[in-house]
Amino acid sequence: MHRTIVWLTWRQIFANRRLYLAMLFSLAPVVIALLFRSFSADPEKESRGFYLLLAPDIVLGVLLPLSALVFGTTAFGGEIDDGTLLYLLVKPVKRWRIVISKYVVAVLSTFLLMLPAIFLPWLAVSAPDLPISIPVAYVWGAALGAILYGAFFTMLGAAVKHPLVIGLMYIVIIEEALARSIAGVKALSIREFATAFSLRMADSSLNLGTPLVSASNMKVMGTLFLVGSLALALYRLARYEMAEKP
Amino acid sequence: MTAIELKNTSRWYGNVVAVNDVSTTLGPGITGVLGPNGAGKTTLLHMMAGLLSPSAGRVLVNGMPAAGNPEVYRTLALVPERESVHAFLTGREFVRMSAKLQGLADPNAATARAIELVEMTAAQDRRISTYSKGMRQRIKVAGALVHDPAVILLDEPFNGMDPRQRLHMMDVLRGVAAQGRVIIISSHILEELNDLATNVLVMVSGRLAASGHFREIRKLMTDRPHTFTIKSTDNRMLASALLRDASVFGVELNDGLLTVRTSDRGALTRYLPRTARDANIRLHEIRPTDESLESVFEYLVNR
Repeated sequence: MHRTIVWLTWRQIFANRRLYLAMLFSLAPVVIALLFRSFSADPEKESRGFYLLLAPDIVLGVLLPLSALVFGTTAFGGEIDDGTLLYLLVKPVKRWRIVISKYVVAVLSTFLLMLPAIFLPWLAVSAPDLPISIPVAYVWGAALGAILYGAFFTMLGAAVKHPLVIGLMYIVIIEEALARSIAGVKALSIREFATAFSLRMADSSLNLGTPLVSASNMKVMGTLFLVGSLALALYRLARYEMAEKP
Repeated sequence: MTAIELKNTSRWYGNVVAVNDVSTTLGPGITGVLGPNGAGKTTLLHMMAGLLSPSAGRVLVNGMPAAGNPEVYRTLALVPERESVHAFLTGREFVRMSAKLQGLADPNAATARAIELVEMTAAQDRRISTYSKGMRQRIKVAGALVHDPAVILLDEPFNGMDPRQRLHMMDVLRGVAAQGRVIIISSHILEELNDLATNVLVMVSGRLAASGHFREIRKLMTDRPHTFTIKSTDNRMLASALLRDASVFGVELNDGLLTVRTSDRGALTRYLPRTARDANIRLHEIRPTDESLESVFEYLVNR
């Protein structure tokens, strides 16, 4: 890691308008929760069912991949296209430190955005059968999700030409369409990992449900995603060559 | 002292050869790399900067291979041609980022010194997105000079600068060169290197077409044969009169157009009006045909 590159990447993310869009998105769950409260006939009874749908499906299922996509692809994003990456490459800094710094910023910013998305709706619908250990379980899932998605999308930002499009295709085709219906594909879905990890971290007395991905599967595939993505990003950066196109 | 050594260096992309078998050594002072666009200047500079590895041959900076060796950047700096800088940073932030990435002991002092050197102190706290082209070039140079590199590579540094900024940048570079540093500047305009570069390498289509002292290269370029086309009231008569001048070695008549080839442009421009007047011939048009940069370089290659 290199502090100056972390600082630069933060500045880069804040200079990007997509950040504000993502921040707005992160407030969507609490808006939905407030709507639920004002329209629900019996909030006391329905709150738990509502929150157990909102947190895994909307927050971990939609918001988490989208924010990770935004932050992961901006970490390298424009720098490769416009050539400003050159200013980092002609410094006595090892290239893996550049990759790790960018990656850490992508993970942290995604994770930070998940906190209000998980806790604010929980506060809004507060009910006695919704102890704080429930949102905390989802925070664990969000953390794992941010770590894996962050690696995958940071790699896309470094390695492919249209990272946003490819990333969206992964979310929509692999995670939304295939992983939901075909059990085997779940092992390729970071979203399934995040949800399963939340359930695993939750106390069984909370009765949140059974994880759909086995622990060994998560260990193997998760490590593969993480190490594979970062290695690919590093490989791409090491082979990165700037020159006039002949 | 030899700072940069190229040994039979070539670089190709697929089957396009960008740099073709270049061998040379570069030492202290200012060296210009001159050539038309697409001649391989940037590829050559990027190989010296270690951003590209040569497809064949070697590139050594201070005796070490430049490619894949980040430690090289402690003594080497590159000012890239592309205008893009991190536009959301202020000038000072950009230079300080360079200083910190270099791991300098006192990045703030080094930043202030580098910004002072390029005279950007007044604008240092503005965002780079508000800078003019010339200011961006200067802040890029400040970022490159912040760690006092011994070798400085500048890719088309005068692009987009107005004449005053250009003179100032020349002063800066001359001052830096006077400290015994190695400065390499690429350009596609000979005059930009005037009064600046002592040595010039001329690149054409990836090959080293000529190299030598600036004055020799300049002489080569201006003393080459020139071709003019002339329209006059009596082309045939003018042709025979012009042939009497020693500098004219060829004339050609076709379609009311007289083509004259001379080895000495200056002599012809003095001789032509006098001859025409004496023979009572009226000149309608005189047009040099090969003043484009490409034809100048073409000549150097075929010489």
